[in-house]
Amino acid sequence: MKVVWTIATKDLKLLRRDRAAFFWVLGFPILVALFFGSIIGGGGDRAPLPVAIVDLDGSDYSRAIAGRLRASSALKAKDTTLDSARTFVRKGDLVAYVALRPGVSRSFGFGGDSTSGIEIGVDPRRVAEKEYVKGLVTAALFETMRGSFSSGFGKRQIQENLAAIRADSTLRPVERARSEALYRSLETFLTALDSSGFNAGASGAAGADGAGAPGAKSGSSGGGPNLRVVEVAEDDSGPRSAFEVTFPSSIAWALIGVCMTFAISIVTERVSGTFLRLRLAPISRAQVLAGKGLACFLAAMFSVSALLAIGILFLHVRVSDPLMLAAAIAASAFCFTGVMMLVSTFGRSHQSVSGAGWAIMLVMSMTGGGMIPLIAMPAWMQTVSNFSLVKWAVLSVEGAVWRGFGWGEMLPVLAVPIAAGLVGIVIGTRLLQASDG
Amino acid sequence: MTAIRVTDLAKSYGTLVAVDGVSFEVARGETFGLLGPNGAGKSTTIGMIVGALRPDRGSVTVDGEADPTRPALRGRIGVAPQSLALYGDLTAEENLDFFGRLYALSGARLKTRVEWALAFAGLADRRRDRVHTYSGGMQRRLNLVCGLIHDPPVLLMDEPTVGVDPQSRNAIFDNIEALKREGRTIVYTTHYMEEAERLCDRVAIMDRGKILALDTVKGLLRHSNLPADRADLESVFLTLTGRTLRD
Repeated sequence: MKVVWTIATKDLKLLRRDRAAFFWVLGFPILVALFFGSIIGGGGDRAPLPVAIVDLDGSDYSRAIAGRLRASSALKAKDTTLDSARTFVRKGDLVAYVALRPGVSRSFGFGGDSTSGIEIGVDPRRVAEKEYVKGLVTAALFETMRGSFSSGFGKRQIQENLAAIRADSTLRPVERARSEALYRSLETFLTALDSSGFNAGASGAAGADGAGAPGAKSGSSGGGPNLRVVEVAEDDSGPRSAFEVTFPSSIAWALIGVCMTFAISIVTERVSGTFLRLRLAPISRAQVLAGKGLACFLAAMFSVSALLAIGILFLHVRVSDPLMLAAAIAASAFCFTGVMMLVSTFGRSHQSVSGAGWAIMLVMSMTGGGMIPLIAMPAWMQTVSNFSLVKWAVLSVEGAVWRGFGWGEMLPVLAVPIAAGLVGIVIGTRLLQASDG
Repeated sequence: MTAIRVTDLAKSYGTLVAVDGVSFEVARGETFGLLGPNGAGKSTTIGMIVGALRPDRGSVTVDGEADPTRPALRGRIGVAPQSLALYGDLTAEENLDFFGRLYALSGARLKTRVEWALAFAGLADRRRDRVHTYSGGMQRRLNLVCGLIHDPPVLLMDEPTVGVDPQSRNAIFDNIEALKREGRTIVYTTHYMEEAERLCDRVAIMDRGKILALDTVKGLLRHSNLPADRADLESVFLTLTGRTLRD
């Protein structure tokens, strides 16, 4: 094992010092991931958040709030029932839902009990989106309240509420006095607000910066709107950003880069005579090839891990199961170690190995998800991709990143690259030994 | 005492007969020269002696052992291949360290051998430079000492002075003479007559896979039937192998 490690560390040192090879092993896959991630939609301006709006109150006031939310350029609103809204959010089809509960018009969306306010349903991991939607709803609420008061609806509602309080014989005098004082203060506040010419968000759209709108600020500091956030866990059944698709896809390029680098390094050693020195040393051929294979495996592990680490740390690629991801990386690295052994036997010169190797790799990458992500492939191409080892490597990593595979689904996917790696190592080793006789 | 015995060795590549029934013995401590034009079969013979090539026919014994691929025997043989079998992106020290480890050297012993090899090759002051920055002569000297790193008693050198300047060539001659004085058994292939005359105790002249003559340099001259004023090794060589171009 010591000799195998000696050969492997020598090869890794040579790889580190060969800047061109290092670029193809790590730099190029990163560029591919960033480029395709950006053009697919991983960067740039924030797109409207897809949300559902559920009006359970059915009043003019609630319709007005819903209308303002629909008109917001920051949201892509969809009207539906509460149950459907929850399902959409759970499946990840929508980021959140906003439910205007019965009674929201009576309290103007402020105060009241927990069942009469506004319910926002969102996955607890979507912290930023939750705050963003809360800000937009708060802004829409303030603008609606102000607008409704100007139109007379608010004054009528206050008067109706005051009449109801006076007629309610169950209230104690102290409670009645407090409630009346609250509504009269609200009436005074809204009258002053209306006459001051306050015009925040008067266009009717909450605006993309709704969280920072003046209405949102005053609402949150004055007792606050009655917003209730309900956690709806997503099923993790889809990628949450373009980078979660492009980074697993780009591992194809990392694996191909490592595979070709080491396949060509074997030919280089054979041509230069260093392979002869290795063979004449008091070690077995199996040890020599194991050293080469170990170096290739470790380089592939490093390259894929580094690539995914960049995606996780800087581009918010989220890993569903780290242990599964480690298994996927190891299986993929093993697979392409076997492919490397096989490719290195395709000829006795750099040109023949490089030419044949890249031709095969490009076809495997094209059909396996290295160029077109697997998720975007038409059905017939997904069938064809089953013959590409790149597909199984990408699929295993996707399974651990966003497909939400369980071990029952993952193990058959891992079995393919492991079996292919074994076949490649056995055949490649035999062919290498035979060609040196 | 025989160090290397080669008996009726033969090797073909398709229809090309590279080595055809070659037999010779090399005594322990002897420097034995294999002379021949390009394509004579010298390198193929060396390849079969060290176990890199499988002979079609015949046998090789080194130190009385018949299988040169056995690890224990390989540890007693050093090889300086004709090609520069070095890692250009590693330093001289790293190359020597790596090849030493393949021969199970480690610790203080490895360090001592690396120091010896660097000094022997005159590369101590360039030890930490990458090999691809070296001149051809420096690379040749390093190529030689990489085959000596494990201190082998038997050394096979395949045209170790190809393409080097006179200074490096002279340094390599000095190195080989030093190795001779240490009592090592050396097989040396070349097509430079003066190298054979200076270094070799006995010389075999090969052509087209066969040995045409085998003797000491003096013996070859004596039996050449050439006039005394024209009797040198090159004349003997050309008389035996002819003057037609080989490549």
